[in-house]
Amino acid sequence: MVYLQLPKLKRERLIVLTGKEAVLISISSLIVAFIIFSGFLMLEGATPTEAYGHIFTFAFDPKLGLSTTLHRGFFILFSTLAFIVPMSAGLWNIGMEGQFYLGTIGAFAVAYSLPNLDPALLIPLMITSGALFGAGYGALAGFLRGKLNVNEVVATLMLNNIAFWLVYLLTVGGPWAGIAESTSRPLPASARAPIIWNTTFTSFLAIGIAILLYIFLKYSSLGYQIRVLGNSSVAAKHIGISAPKITILVMSIGGAIAGAAGYHMWAGDPAFYMIPRPEAYKAIGDLTYWGILIGLVCLLNSLAAIPFTVFIGSILVGSTVLVRRLRLPFGLDVLFLGVISLTFVAFQFFHNYRIRRIRRE
Amino acid sequence: MKADAPILEVRGITKRFPGGVVALDHVDLEIRPGEIHAVLGENGAGKTTLMNILFGVLQPDEGEIYINGRRVRFRSPLDAMNMGIGMVHQIRKLIPAHTVLENIILGHPKTESIINLKKAREEVKALCEKYGFNIDLDARVWQLSAGEQQVVEILRALYRGAKILILDEPTTVLTPSEVESFLNSMKAMTKEEIATIPFVTHKLPEVFAVCDRITVLRRGKVVKRLGTKEATMKALAEYMVGREVLFKLEKPKVEIGEEILRVENLSALSDKGVLALKGVSFSIREGEIFGIAGIAGNGQQELAEVIAGLRKPLGGRIIFQGRDITNASVLERMKMGIGYIPPERLGVGAIGNFSLVENILMSIYFDHEFSSKGFLSYKKIREYAKKIISEFEVVAPSIDTKAAHLSGGNLQRLILGRVIPRTSKLLIANSPTVGLDIAATEAVRNRILKCKERGMGVLLISEDLDEVLELSDSIAPIYEGRFVRILSAVEAKKEVVGAMMAGALSGGG
Amino acid sequence: MWPFIIRSLEVATILLLAAIGELLTQRSGIINVGIEGLMLLGAASGFLAALIWGIVPGYVVGMIMGALFGLLHAVLSITLRVNQVVSGMGIWLFAMGFVTYWADRYSGPLPPGVVSLRIYGLSPLFFIGIAAVFIIWFILSKTHLGLKIRSTGENPFAAEVSGVKVIRIRYACTIIGGALSGLAGAFLSLTYLGTWSHLPTKGLGWIAFALVMFSLWRPQILLGGAILFGFVWQFAISPESVYAGIPAPLPILRMLPFIVTIVLLVIISSERFRRKWWLAKPEALGVPYIKE
Repeated sequence: MVYLQLPKLKRERLIVLTGKEAVLISISSLIVAFIIFSGFLMLEGATPTEAYGHIFTFAFDPKLGLSTTLHRGFFILFSTLAFIVPMSAGLWNIGMEGQFYLGTIGAFAVAYSLPNLDPALLIPLMITSGALFGAGYGALAGFLRGKLNVNEVVATLMLNNIAFWLVYLLTVGGPWAGIAESTSRPLPASARAPIIWNTTFTSFLAIGIAILLYIFLKYSSLGYQIRVLGNSSVAAKHIGISAPKITILVMSIGGAIAGAAGYHMWAGDPAFYMIPRPEAYKAIGDLTYWGILIGLVCLLNSLAAIPFTVFIGSILVGSTVLVRRLRLPFGLDVLFLGVISLTFVAFQFFHNYRIRRIRRE
Repeated sequence: MKADAPILEVRGITKRFPGGVVALDHVDLEIRPGEIHAVLGENGAGKTTLMNILFGVLQPDEGEIYINGRRVRFRSPLDAMNMGIGMVHQIRKLIPAHTVLENIILGHPKTESIINLKKAREEVKALCEKYGFNIDLDARVWQLSAGEQQVVEILRALYRGAKILILDEPTTVLTPSEVESFLNSMKAMTKEEIATIPFVTHKLPEVFAVCDRITVLRRGKVVKRLGTKEATMKALAEYMVGREVLFKLEKPKVEIGEEILRVENLSALSDKGVLALKGVSFSIREGEIFGIAGIAGNGQQELAEVIAGLRKPLGGRIIFQGRDITNASVLERMKMGIGYIPPERLGVGAIGNFSLVENILMSIYFDHEFSSKGFLSYKKIREYAKKIISEFEVVAPSIDTKAAHLSGGNLQRLILGRVIPRTSKLLIANSPTVGLDIAATEAVRNRILKCKERGMGVLLISEDLDEVLELSDSIAPIYEGRFVRILSAVEAKKEVVGAMMAGALSGGG
Repeated sequence: MWPFIIRSLEVATILLLAAIGELLTQRSGIINVGIEGLMLLGAASGFLAALIWGIVPGYVVGMIMGALFGLLHAVLSITLRVNQVVSGMGIWLFAMGFVTYWADRYSGPLPPGVVSLRIYGLSPLFFIGIAAVFIIWFILSKTHLGLKIRSTGENPFAAEVSGVKVIRIRYACTIIGGALSGLAGAFLSLTYLGTWSHLPTKGLGWIAFALVMFSLWRPQILLGGAILFGFVWQFAISPESVYAGIPAPLPILRMLPFIVTIVLLVIISSERFRRKWWLAKPEALGVPYIKE
């Protein structure tokens, strides 16, 4: 191996990666991302330290950004969990976006048809309906993959686009259209998510699901079967694990979790309480892809994902300060996330290899 | 003339591997133009390492290589090829989806940027005629037999103008009829001053018939160099093995009981959709080891998979203890007491990323004894795992060690420990000792004999004829998807079975 | 009707350029799921360059940008051996952020002076796209280089033994594939749209990716597929130009290309085609090459 490689360094294959190493790797990747982003900040005439200070003080200030930070962070947690379950079985669910849209439809359908229901009933009903819609959409992808052998990456992505237009169909000039142009009607007040400790209660639901998933994947018989399939589909076949069954199951679980986020997102933030304009809900939908990176960085550990998602939420919310307070150009906030995604990916290298110096012959 | 100037000379080659293993210890070798010079040695004698060094895959720690008296250093196989060395690998380095011709001309300096297929075809055809190879140049490589694929590799080397041809176990994949034409081709090469160096473990007689000189390797050292005329078969075998005593297994005397498994006229397709198993019938009784001997790719893999429930049969029936299980699932069969030991260990028999406990769990995850309400009882499982690890003598720091860290022998012990205690009736052992060292091989064979003692039926599949003969009560050589015959251990002579698995004798004879 | 056909062929051009590049990349054994991202980068950089230097430099810059990020994918997936799907995803996510930051402030149409060249209404790039398909078909099936590329994608170990520089070929194919995706993006923003709006690709890159799978990695089939999808896509956007009275609402029509893709995926994955598909698929696709 000569190309693009320093002559004195050698890749050494890792057999297994410990949790501690994984944490170190992700922290280093973040540091690199911060350094790279500093370059962009300076390019725009800002002082990096000052800018980072602004980002995090805003994001974690209970009076300012904290509730949004948590809200967005836990939204990403939903997506991450929706990615982790299928990935544990070796399947790429990149359909969280579509499952989330379907969950949105499921939740709103209940709210619009039963606006006068008691919140104690309406809200669980909305979440359940959202989860079911999402699960159905996930199961569809699972069916395509498990029974018809369709590549799940392409299939879920196509389903995402279809779901985007489904929401569009309902909101823009459709049956759910509101008074304002291209948004939906507002949710009835009874559907709004109660706030606990600065954040919507559904954030705790996300944490609860994360804990349950951790236990499920680690200790249940089904979770074990999922992990066997994820590690080796051939081995799974040899011990009588049915791949199609597990495939549909994990995609449904993933879809259900992503679908539940449909309620969390729109009913959990006072800025919404409705489905916003297509660009806006698409921008939220794009956030679901973070689930992929975080899931991989956390080695599919759903508990380890929690701090990561909150951190990404804080960047997402905090970096809006760059635009609003420091008058830096629009889009710098999303750029920051983009840079992190690249360093995350590049540091995946260290999940399989370590660099070792060797003596030259 | 030939005798004077060696075309290839190897002096004092030494290669050490990490962990202090000396694979080659000051090995000398001298090859003259046009000679056939066999290198003999057992597995682990250092043959593979020597070949890799001669072909530039590995670099030696010490020693020199000379070609036509000039010192050379190979940094890559390409260097070796440019110096006129060709290599025929045992694990084929061919592209299955491409045609024979494409494989031969690939990467050749002479191949034009815009390929002139007509010209290339004529040149290769000329080579074929000269050396007596008969092959369809437009066939896709995956459609060819192992022997034909070997021809493609030889042609590729010759097309490149190789003057020295290294052959890795050339005769193992050949059928008897192919052997003869292959040996003729080797002689034809000799006339063109092309030196061939077959590296051989098994099938001594064939090579013996044509080669001029023999070098015997043992444990990384050259132990003997001799001309064919001075050698006898018996002496060669002794040189190869040394004074090491071959272990002898005590076959336990076991009452053969009732029939456990009956297979009727079973046929199946291979992964590529070719009819690989063509109507096989046999039965296995309690306490019986039924051995299937065959060269890989003759349908034994498909047979094992069909019986284990991994592959759907095309036709035929499987009767297990009087019940038709032809359509039963893998899990149902496992629960009935059928266990399968696959030939591949990591990734099939065991999962590298899983701890030993999780690996052992692979055979009991469905058992209610080890779980309640859908959750696994890890306490019980760990205790069980500990018991298995000590009983099957798996050497590992702890039961939480990842299986990827285990050596091949330990991994196979782990897999046996996972499967055998949960198997009460029928064990299917597919190539259970392939690639293992002597101690591990012995341990595995003893385990299989213990299963017999327990009154289980065992279906043993192996390419190692000695293994099949030593362990089995009934022996079925398999060739092209059919049993040539089913012999009892008493009537099975090694030469006869060997010829049968090579397709030499038909069932009637 | 003619304008509709032209618009459709423009969409086909976008798909063609991106997909033929991906086909080449995949033939060498590297899968790049980040086409959508490469297209975005090409679209944005091409658009910005066109604002300063005009239309042709716009194409060139878009292509260079695509090549650069193709190179990045090559470094990540070949040298660093990161999972190729992950690497492509990362590039896509980065592109979404970067392009929003970089180009959204210039949202709006191209100035009137910057006009795409047209021959009977058709952009020369349409012909270049078809030429690219033909050239890549020729290289892959008739030349030694093509044989080397195919071998690299089938079995890099065997290729290396025959003296093929596997790493170099994979790098080259990934970079060229990136360049073509970048060009496709530039064509999208400069000629097809003629304007910049937030994240303009709208799933086209993914359809190009799926096209490669449908084509059984054969350029001729790819050409047909790209043209077919060009029409489906354009029909979904402006059905009225084909038939004014189509009753279906716009969003449902917009789903059409994606639904067609899924249907085709199902067909191609069916028992009848699967074996054929597996034989056509480069065997080492997505598998890192580790010389040991």
